[in-house]
Amino acid sequence: MNRLATLPAVALAVGVTAAPLLFLLRVSLYESGGPRGFYTPDTVTLSHYAALAEAPILFTVAFALAVAVASTLFGLALAAFVESLTPGRQWLAIGLLLAPKLAGALTTVFGLQRLLPRGTVAALIAEVTFVLPYAVLVIALRLRGIPPDLRSAARGLGATRRHVFRRVTLPLAAPAVLLAFQLSLAWGLGAFVGPLFLAGPGESTLGTQIQSHTAELRWPVAAAEGVLLLLLTAMVFALPRRRGHE
Amino acid sequence: MPSTGTPSPTAGTALSSAVELSAVSFGYGPTPVLRAVSVAVPAGAFVTLLGPSGCGKTTLLKVLAGYISPNSGTIRLHGQDVTATPPERRDVGFVFQNYALFPHLTARGNVAFPLEIRGISKQETRARVEAMLDRVRLSPAEWDRHPRELSGGQQQRVALARALVFDPAVLLLDEPLANLDRSLREQLRDELRRVQRETGTTTVLVTHDQDEAFAVSDYLGVMHAGRVEQFGPPREIYERPVSETVARALGIANLLPGEVVGRRLGTTVMIRPEKFHPGGSLAGRITAVRFHGADVLADVVGENFNLTWRTRTAPLPAVGEIVSLGVDPADVWELPDS
Repeated sequence: MNRLATLPAVALAVGVTAAPLLFLLRVSLYESGGPRGFYTPDTVTLSHYAALAEAPILFTVAFALAVAVASTLFGLALAAFVESLTPGRQWLAIGLLLAPKLAGALTTVFGLQRLLPRGTVAALIAEVTFVLPYAVLVIALRLRGIPPDLRSAARGLGATRRHVFRRVTLPLAAPAVLLAFQLSLAWGLGAFVGPLFLAGPGESTLGTQIQSHTAELRWPVAAAEGVLLLLLTAMVFALPRRRGHE
Repeated sequence: MPSTGTPSPTAGTALSSAVELSAVSFGYGPTPVLRAVSVAVPAGAFVTLLGPSGCGKTTLLKVLAGYISPNSGTIRLHGQDVTATPPERRDVGFVFQNYALFPHLTARGNVAFPLEIRGISKQETRARVEAMLDRVRLSPAEWDRHPRELSGGQQQRVALARALVFDPAVLLLDEPLANLDRSLREQLRDELRRVQRETGTTTVLVTHDQDEAFAVSDYLGVMHAGRVEQFGPPREIYERPVSETVARALGIANLLPGEVVGRRLGTTVMIRPEKFHPGGSLAGRITAVRFHGADVLADVVGENFNLTWRTRTAPLPAVGEIVSLGVDPADVWELPDS
């Protein structure tokens, strides 16, 4: 293949992803630079990583798991519902699902602020609202790929609709359900807007923690937290992947 | 019991019919797909519905299975009205054209599916699944394979086993051999018939292949434009078709203008190409000869007729030759609608 043709993609990957990541790693290994810069040169230290013991890791992971479980379950239910509609209505339903995305995260958050008291639940609902469309799309696309004859065949063999869902649809959709879970979990780990505007006092995730540390210009601390967040996210996608059955 | 009144003419047939369709009509919007179809299938019989694509034969099968609700008419299985019964409670085994095997289950798992749904014990399920896989002659080496690891013919056997394992009242087959190559098709066709005989399951098969229809059927239904034009034993339909459409659906039909002695109007008669023999009053020139292995088909053009003659007697006809053909009066069939 023409290697030159891949150059723009390589440049993009290096420039936009790899270079900032390496810089992040570098910053996390020095003392703060205060107002003069991101870090003070010649002060290599691991103290920021040691301080991660104080970071809200457990809360972040628990929050992310809650987001992922809720998004996957609702996503599955909604995808099954969308799949049961006529094609015209399917597009309408998907449009409605995407509406919060089109309105923007802040609109959703301010709306929820009016409706709900601040707290973990409100933050959770906000984040689930953000991820749900992805979960639904991933699962609905897979459901559409299941030949309708399989469901007809199952019913002809004596399966009720519930049997069909449990014994045919769900096992065949499993890879997509797992992918939806992984996506929601990765998103949940990086949860920022929801917790920032809606979580109760003293409840912070790694995301909001990073934001407050950068506001205090403690870049190396924020960078170390960023590296941790990246590692957690990478672990999510290192989970075993299930292959389809085709 | 009322002592007066004539006995219903259908009372007797309703008892012996495994499948009975009465005036079943179906259509999407204004286009009718099925027009008042009535068929009665005797218990234990192998029935084939033969027709070109678009004639409504697959729709009829789906109406029988409960996948499609007819606009009007009734469906009875073993005397019971199932018109409003959903597919899962009809007790019908259906083999789809593409088999519709569950890709996440092995051959064994697919065949076990209907038994597990019915809550049958593990041991019994295992025994019945293995007996049925044996019956359809799937070799045990394939039993734990997934559909994607099986050949088309093997998938077909699994689909058949899955449709029969729960001992359904009726077995429905939607062009089950259409996706297989010719030699395999003929082999599986015979096996299909063997399995049907062994289990005694009333079977309705849908096909557009007349050889297949002749090879397996006790009864044949010739479908055209949403109707069953004729229903009966294959030989009867072959020799005494009710219409030109039916005559042409079952191989080559020579339709010749005829004259009935003692009647003024002309008529159309049908003569099958193998019924002609050399030596007779039909004189014509051979315009084409097609070699078919066991026999040849020759096109003969006469003064006021065209016909196709099937022969295997030597010397074989040659193009340009003049022949005189005759036919036994018993082999001349006057079409009723002509």
